[in-house]
Order: sequence, then C-alpha cells, then structure tokens
Amino acid sequence: MKIGNVEVKVSIVAIAVFVIFTIFLLWASLSSPDVRSQLIWLIPCLFLLLIIPIALNYMSRSQYADIAPVYEAEAKTVRIKMINESMVGKPVRVEGVVERVNFQFLNRPQYLVADRSGAISVKMFTSPDEKVKVNDIVEVIGQVIRRYIVTGEPVINCVSIRKIKKS
Amino acid sequence: MIMADKENPDQPKNSLNSWLEIAVPVLSFGGALFAIVFWINGASFDFRISIVGCVVASWVLAYLAWIRPKKDIVALSTPVYSFIFIAVPTDIFSSVILQILYAISLTVLLVRLKYRFGKPGTAASLGKELGGSLKTYIEHTRDSFSGISSETAHLAAVVFVRFAEGNYDDAAQSSKAALIDGENPGAGSPLMRAFGIIQEHSTILHKSLPSPVTYLTFPEHDIPLLAKPPIAAHDDDMKFYTALDNALLVLYSASWTASEQDRPHLLACQAFAQKLMSSK
Repeated sequence: MKIGNVEVKVSIVAIAVFVIFTIFLLWASLSSPDVRSQLIWLIPCLFLLLIIPIALNYMSRSQYADIAPVYEAEAKTVRIKMINESMVGKPVRVEGVVERVNFQFLNRPQYLVADRSGAISVKMFTSPDEKVKVNDIVEVIGQVIRRYIVTGEPVINCVSIRKIKKS
Repeated sequence: MIMADKENPDQPKNSLNSWLEIAVPVLSFGGALFAIVFWINGASFDFRISIVGCVVASWVLAYLAWIRPKKDIVALSTPVYSFIFIAVPTDIFSSVILQILYAISLTVLLVRLKYRFGKPGTAASLGKELGGSLKTYIEHTRDSFSGISSETAHLAAVVFVRFAEGNYDDAAQSSKAALIDGENPGAGSPLMRAFGIIQEHSTILHKSLPSPVTYLTFPEHDIPLLAKPPIAAHDDDMKFYTALDNALLVLYSASWTASEQDRPHLLACQAFAQKLMSSK
C-alpha cells in the first residue's frame, strides 16, 4: 500500500490480530444480542487494530526516508571489524553478505551482516524498502548503537539497507 | 606472530561464580521443596515465604548475566518476573506448581547463559587492565618502544583513540603531525611507518575513497615487531588491511610503553585492540 511517496507495509502479526478479533466479533455478535448493540463502536475499534500499525509504519518509514540522505552524506564506509564501542553514535556504511534474518514478520528485521573482517548485528526499527534475504549482498547505512542502549556489544541501528548485487 | 591465547591466563579462578551458579537451582528448587514438605505435613504458613528461594535465585541469575561481557536480556529481567510471581496470591497447589515451573525455567536460563553467553568478564575483558594476547604483544615489543619521546608516544595514543572512535580526519591530521615531529633520530622508524600507514588509511576512510593499487606497508625487517606478520598467500586486499592492523597495534604498544598518562584512554579502547589482535 502506498501513502504519498511512502510504501506502507503491514506486518503479518497485525493482520493476524485483525483476523482473529474479526472472528471473535462475528462469533460474539451472532451469539449475543448485547454485543450486536455495541457494534457501532466495536467495528471502528476493530479497524483501529489495522489502522494503528499502518499509521505507525507510515510515520516510521517517512521519518527514515527523511533521514536516509543525511546518513548517506555523513556515513563513512568501514569494515565491520572497525566498528567498536568507541564508535557509538557514529554514522557508518558497511557492505557485506546477509548471513541471518530474524523478525522480518514483525516489520522489525534484524540481520547478521558479514564481510571478510567479521560480522555485526544490524537492527532495523521499521520495514526495509526491499525484502532482504540470506546470502544477499547488501549495503547498510546506519548508526552504531549498543545492543541494549546502555550496555551490550555494538550493533548498527539501520537507516537503510539495500541489495547491491543479487545472490 | 603473537597468537591469540587459547586460554586467558588473566582470568581469575572465581570459585564464587561457580557457587552462585549452583545456588540458582538449589535456591529455586529448594524453595519449592520447602513448600512441598510443609504442605505434606499440613503445616500452616504463608506459602509465599517459599517463593523467596525463587526470588533470590532470580537475582543471582541476573547478577551472573550482568557480569558477562555479552548480556542476556532474558536472564537480566528475571528479578522483574520474580516480583510479579510473588505479588500474585495463589492457592497452595498452584503456588507449588508455579514454583517448580519457575525453578525449571531459571535452571534452563542458567544453562543457556553458560553455553550461549560465554564466561564472566575478567578485569581485562571489562577494560580495567591489560590482558590476553595484547598484553603479551606489548611485553614482547616493550624494549623497541621504550626509547621514544613522551610527545611521540602521546601522539600515538591520540591517533589510536581517534581512529577507534571513527574520527578519521583527526587521526590523519595527528598522524601527519607525528610524522613532522618525528623526524628526529630517537623517534624510531617502525613507529613512523605506522603513522604513515594510518595517515593513508585514515584519509581513505575519511574521504570514502576506494583501496589504492599501491599502498604503504612495513618492510621485512620490521616483521619481528608486528603482531600479525603479512602472509604471502594473502591477496592484496588482505595485505592492505593487515598493514593497518599492524600499524594500529604498533601505535598501541608504543603509547602504552612510553606514555603512562594515556593508559586510561588506551584501556578504554582495549576491546578494539583485542579485536585487531584476534582477527584474521
């Protein structure tokens, strides 16, 4: 779905929640007249289960689209080995192979990207522009952060991830 | 070549941690057992007292997670769950079942922590003192760098720290300053070559330039001073980056040896230096 220039993606979890509650509501309204009288506000609430994730995804993706050019201009291309605790807060660009993808279904994907010098976890807090799979060669632009904000090893808070060569 | 240690000699034999690891299942299952014994004997008491074992075990597990360099957020958050656990009033049967399940969960988390999140941090891994193969390398090269001036050693520390921070322009400028200042007989040529290599790499990184066809490297007679001697079978790309690793480690060793006031800054960047030592 496209809103303005932003491609909005709803996670499968949000759709599943909407479907489950739709079934519950149908079942409840068929079996209880009391529920039928409440449909005037229950149906809008049901649609909010879809609208809120769509709105959140739209907002995060449009924010990311705005900041991506800034990061592209400022990020230094580094090898993964060079990323360390002292670089927390720095914008970086790395190129590597995707070795693992997690939580894609939540629209919060986490990738393990490796180059010849090492591997690093790349966290994205919104859905990427394109679907990235294991063995894709990608360019990652983002900021070095700690895994748990104040502690943990350095990871990349990804602003942009794009395939640079098809696997 | 200074090889990475197979076993960290700095790691203290911390028997306390072993006891704490044993305490997690003992306390959690002990609490459940305590509840079962009193329940069977028909004693009347507040069954939530036996939950204290699980609560203490949760805190012990969280402590064991905290002292590891690689953090386990699940183990760290168990004290929160233990409070929820103790706050909810349940009947005797449910309480005992809940305690047994919780004790099993804590034990599984302990095993997961031990096998997936490594060993507890040592003073070296926590950046409090020098350790591992880096310490061995510095001791090995100490005599070669003991004669350099404190100004040059300080510049070496500045360049290393700036490079580690990703401030490549500053690293290039400081390297250039060191090369200009270092044109005196006591400066030591391997160190100057290291500054030159880092200046070249920092400029490339700062300007996001591609790797050059020809690049600076250490001559053969510097090899005894290098942490990672170049391997002939390596391709140009690997040789280019190995020269950088060696140059950074030369600077680290020189500054550690000859600039004591910079040691706190160098310790703060020790993890990066250790990574350079252990990587290919």
